[in-house]
Amino acid sequence: MTTLKKTEIPTRKAFSMRMAERGAESEFAVFESDIGYSTYSYLFGDKFPERYFNFGIAEASTMAAAAGMASTGRTTIVSGYGVFLTMRAVEMVRSFVCYPNLNVKILSSHGGITAAIDGVTHQATEDIAFMTTLPNMKVLCPCDPASAKKAFDLALATPGPVFVRLMRDPLFDLYSEDDLKIPAKFRMGGSNVIKEGTDITIASYGDILFQAIEAADILAKEGLTAEVLDLYSLKPLDFDGITASLKKTAALLVAENHQARNGAGTAIGDYLARLGMPAIFDHLGLDDTFAESGDYQGVVDTYGLGAKNIAETARRLILRKS
Amino acid sequence: METPTPERTKALQEIARKMRFHIVDMVYKAQSGHCGGSLSAADIVTALYFEIMNIDPSNPKWPLRDRFVLSKGHACPVQYAALAMRGFFPVEELGTLRKLHSRLQGHPVAGKLPGIEVTSGSLGVGFCEAVGLALEARLEKSSWHVWALLGDGELNEGAIWEAAQAASKFSLDNLTAIVDRNRLQNDGFCDDVMPMDSISDKFRAFGWETLEIDGHDMAQILEALKKAKAMQGKPCCIIAKTIKGKGVSFMENKRDWHGKPPNDEQYSQAVRELQGETL
Repeated sequence: MTTLKKTEIPTRKAFSMRMAERGAESEFAVFESDIGYSTYSYLFGDKFPERYFNFGIAEASTMAAAAGMASTGRTTIVSGYGVFLTMRAVEMVRSFVCYPNLNVKILSSHGGITAAIDGVTHQATEDIAFMTTLPNMKVLCPCDPASAKKAFDLALATPGPVFVRLMRDPLFDLYSEDDLKIPAKFRMGGSNVIKEGTDITIASYGDILFQAIEAADILAKEGLTAEVLDLYSLKPLDFDGITASLKKTAALLVAENHQARNGAGTAIGDYLARLGMPAIFDHLGLDDTFAESGDYQGVVDTYGLGAKNIAETARRLILRKS
Repeated sequence: METPTPERTKALQEIARKMRFHIVDMVYKAQSGHCGGSLSAADIVTALYFEIMNIDPSNPKWPLRDRFVLSKGHACPVQYAALAMRGFFPVEELGTLRKLHSRLQGHPVAGKLPGIEVTSGSLGVGFCEAVGLALEARLEKSSWHVWALLGDGELNEGAIWEAAQAASKFSLDNLTAIVDRNRLQNDGFCDDVMPMDSISDKFRAFGWETLEIDGHDMAQILEALKKAKAMQGKPCCIIAKTIKGKGVSFMENKRDWHGKPPNDEQYSQAVRELQGETL
């Protein structure tokens, strides 16, 4: 059994806490669209009001103004909800942030169906598809407070646009800040083996990583060992890490809080097909459907992303190996 | 406020005439591009590049330079012509407009060509970027000014009004918007497609100062630009009444000439009309 400590701090808050700390030694500016008390960007704004610009409920102009400022060389950070930043403002991200390859970092809260209770209008379930498709964009999704802080540092240190998907609800502590002091533990294009195993690899990121860990525990009771990968870097993806794990397990299940289409699962499937790599493979996500309002675990289970469904799907894949 | 001499005003008019020739010439050579909205803006762009803006063609990245944002990015022939004539790059390069591997992209692209500050052309966005630039000047406690040229059709875009409210909130008196009020847009007369009158009332309601001028009267343009730059405490919008296609008789005030290149015969006639003593 994996025992994880529950945390009080959602990743959106941890990221903003780090942003407020780093503001003292780095001259970046933060652009907000009136949800600073939800993304916790206000923590930065309270300390550095002269570098904090609240544009009101106007994501498109917020993004474009941040691009305008970044065109001078200053790093800008745009804070908001994923569903609005990646869709209402997607053209601003594409043509005016990614095309000129500007140092604009996107703090994207309420990723996936973690905004479960708010319903579909507030659930960003296509954000990874949009953002990973854009040239020059890099995409991170930390799962816990320590890695969210590290994601801020990595985004700031990486030239060009970086999108960081964050979550509404606090879940667990997986990493310690000390763990992540080793650069290899959290890097662009990296992944981490959270649990070792030989029967199947279960790869996930963000909140569903914890469902994957629980699924591995369910399988362990049946004598099956699952290797669990944290794919915190969604673009670039750690294909070397995935391949190394597959050499041990020969089966891969990707589970993600996103549409099954055009998320990490399809990117990895595409990679394996191009490589001609023999692997039993499947991926779980929203199956061409919208979700709905509800309690977090209820929505996660209903749409097939809970630990039980991950374990059941993994079991079927393992059976296909023999 | 210093009034330009009649000689200087005349010299600027002459520059604008040459600029109009280059616009027609490059769109003809490309057989693609937007003559109408470039020609309407030629006098305003001339005043900015040759009289008003603090810029240094030999040092295009001079940190204290004024920033020009062509929010109506499809009119880039007028900006490309101004930059070339001002010495940012060779005039001969204007002939590469819209061609493969050219620095003169179909809409302005930052980083490709000296003097282009931000990528623009998706209508409504350049103005938002200009607000970000003006905030940067504020952060740097620097006195450079941001000039954004907008189309009147472009004002249909909601992002324009988001940017307008933000500029007002942040009291960006280092930002000037100039609306090229030629009363035509892609599908026809603005009044038929989406009436925007009164543009002055709208900007004033958003907390801006406004000036209305004849956008082909060089003396009025210069005076308004100087007033706008001197504005304190709030941003200023100049509504410049212009004629789309100005300077080429058969292009003037015609919807067709929004985005159509001239054929050989039309090109010859346009050149004859724009030909002064020298080109």
